[in-house]
Amino acid sequence: MNAPESVKALLPKSIVGRTTLAIIALAMLLGALFAGLAAWMLHGNEKQRLTQRLDALLSTVEKTVSVACFVKDDALAREIVAGLMSNEVVAGARIAAGGATLYEQVRPGLPASDREATLSITRPIHSPFDASERVGEIVLYASRTTLRELAWNYLRYVVFVLGLEVALMALAVSWVVYNLITRPIKGISDELHRLELRTGMRLHVPRRNEKDELGRLVSDVNALIAKLTTLIDAERRLRLEREASERRLALIFEKVDAGIFEVERNGLLHSWNPAFVRTLGPPPKPPELQVMIPAHGQLLRTLIDESLSSGTPREADLELHTPDGHTQWAELSLTPVGSTMLQGVINDITERKRAEFAAQQLASRDTLTGLLNRRGIDAGLAALFERRRHEQTLAIALMLIDLDYFKQVNDTHGHAAGDIVLKRVAEILEGAVRRSDLVARPGGDEFTVALVGVDSQAKIEQIAQDIIDEVRQPIDIGGGVQVRIGASIGIAMVGPADETAAPVLQRADEAMYAAKQAGRCCVRFASQPQTGP
Amino acid sequence: MRSFLVAISTLMLAALPWSAGADKPGPRGLVVIVNPGSGVAKLERGDAVNIFMGRYRKLPSGIVAFPIDIGDRSPEREQFYRQLVGKELAEVDSYWARLVFSGQTSPPLQVPDARTAVELVAGNRAAIAYVDRSVVDDRVKIVLELEQQR
Repeated sequence: MNAPESVKALLPKSIVGRTTLAIIALAMLLGALFAGLAAWMLHGNEKQRLTQRLDALLSTVEKTVSVACFVKDDALAREIVAGLMSNEVVAGARIAAGGATLYEQVRPGLPASDREATLSITRPIHSPFDASERVGEIVLYASRTTLRELAWNYLRYVVFVLGLEVALMALAVSWVVYNLITRPIKGISDELHRLELRTGMRLHVPRRNEKDELGRLVSDVNALIAKLTTLIDAERRLRLEREASERRLALIFEKVDAGIFEVERNGLLHSWNPAFVRTLGPPPKPPELQVMIPAHGQLLRTLIDESLSSGTPREADLELHTPDGHTQWAELSLTPVGSTMLQGVINDITERKRAEFAAQQLASRDTLTGLLNRRGIDAGLAALFERRRHEQTLAIALMLIDLDYFKQVNDTHGHAAGDIVLKRVAEILEGAVRRSDLVARPGGDEFTVALVGVDSQAKIEQIAQDIIDEVRQPIDIGGGVQVRIGASIGIAMVGPADETAAPVLQRADEAMYAAKQAGRCCVRFASQPQTGP
Repeated sequence: MRSFLVAISTLMLAALPWSAGADKPGPRGLVVIVNPGSGVAKLERGDAVNIFMGRYRKLPSGIVAFPIDIGDRSPEREQFYRQLVGKELAEVDSYWARLVFSGQTSPPLQVPDARTAVELVAGNRAAIAYVDRSVVDDRVKIVLELEQQR
């Protein structure tokens, strides 16, 4: 610890202490200054004062001196001098009459040689009866020591008075500062210590300080407190609202059926909810979305990139295969939040897909036979031709089957029997072709079969012949009754020039007509168009 | 207070001769007389002051002087000191009081009246006194005449 710090530690901390100390220091400084000034002035002044004093002394004895000088009475002169010497200021005196010394006395310690250096005052003495006649003189000496002592005494007096003033002043200032400043401030400070930030809390203005700086300070603090409490209240309310809303959101996040997740541009999952786990299973480590849907990695990449670059949501339906072999459908929706983050929603839409499938089935199938209806075969053929656009070598053969003698069965045995016959034919057709081939009943007793991937005409003809043979077998229509029908089949191969099914169907229809003309239960191939081989 | 009383009494005493003079003649003019054998023919005013105020013990002729006062508060004494040094009797007494204290000088001898003074002067070579001109006879010699002042 160095000196200034230790001094600093000794300094008072309170305003009262510091003010008092400052006042004392200042007063002492000024006092010393004034004392010095007084000493300097007294040094000159004291000589004058002393001279005046000696002069006054002389005046009181002048008359007697005059008498003594007049009659040259040395006894009287001695009395006078003794009287004068009783005054401590006087260091020596001499009375002379008619040029001779009547009496002289000098205090011990004042050598004659020093007399020159001391202050002396001489007064001529005149006759008591004739003011114009000079009868002698009196000389008074004052020692420098006395002079200095007197000055010192005076200085001591001045210093004492100044010191007293300083002390009283310091006391008064301490009292005033304590009462006018420190106490009110301490009161305010104590109140501030105890203050809780609550609405309506405020400091009390100290008495008698309502209109001064302290009063203003307190009202400013009060205004600040009011503002703060308002802000804090608002903040608290907002926080409560936000917490409630967060709780609601968290609840929604936890309980909602939709899988909600956040995913980064690189496919890394940021967060996910239980529904997400229910739909896609628990995420692996690291939680990469593409690992969870390996079959759609490329699609996911495209969705993420497109969504981020366009700033708009992207959606896709994903067909998923669960480990236990089931097919599951999920609807994935990605919305960009920020430049690299996306918010995703994944919904299990398996049920919906199934319903859709059922509806589609309903729309595209013949309710009686379960075969494709006209709409179904049209859609199926359109899909086939679409596929063929990519696979030029894909062989497609269209077979139109018209039942023979069906009208008679219908007329003879009724519609129910006709329906049984139609169902039986459907079974035969479905049994004759592969699952990947299309079998349809566009209407009435007409059937259409599309053979896919079979380019051998002989094999196609064999299939057709097998169908005819099967159809010709007696059909049990119930009640022990059996009916017999036949089938005529026209076949057309899809050629390279065929863009759609229509011209091929046309050719197949012509071939089928030809077969009928040929005496039923026949198979006829349509001739290839001119451009064909 | 005392000086005031002295002043009052002095004033009364001073007035006395004039009021008294209306009935019987007071000191009309004071003169200083000596013994004819003193060897003094004439006295200066300053010499008279010095002798009567105790400064010189001797007459100009060298004889030790023997001054005489008439009474304590007589009109002559009062008039004499007023005319000689311009002082009231109180002041003169105060003056003598200072000197008597030292014991070196004594005031003039006091005689009851002017006649006694003349007798003393007539019979003593060193004696010197002041009397009214009316009581002077040829046994004594006038050496100084004091003017009627103020």
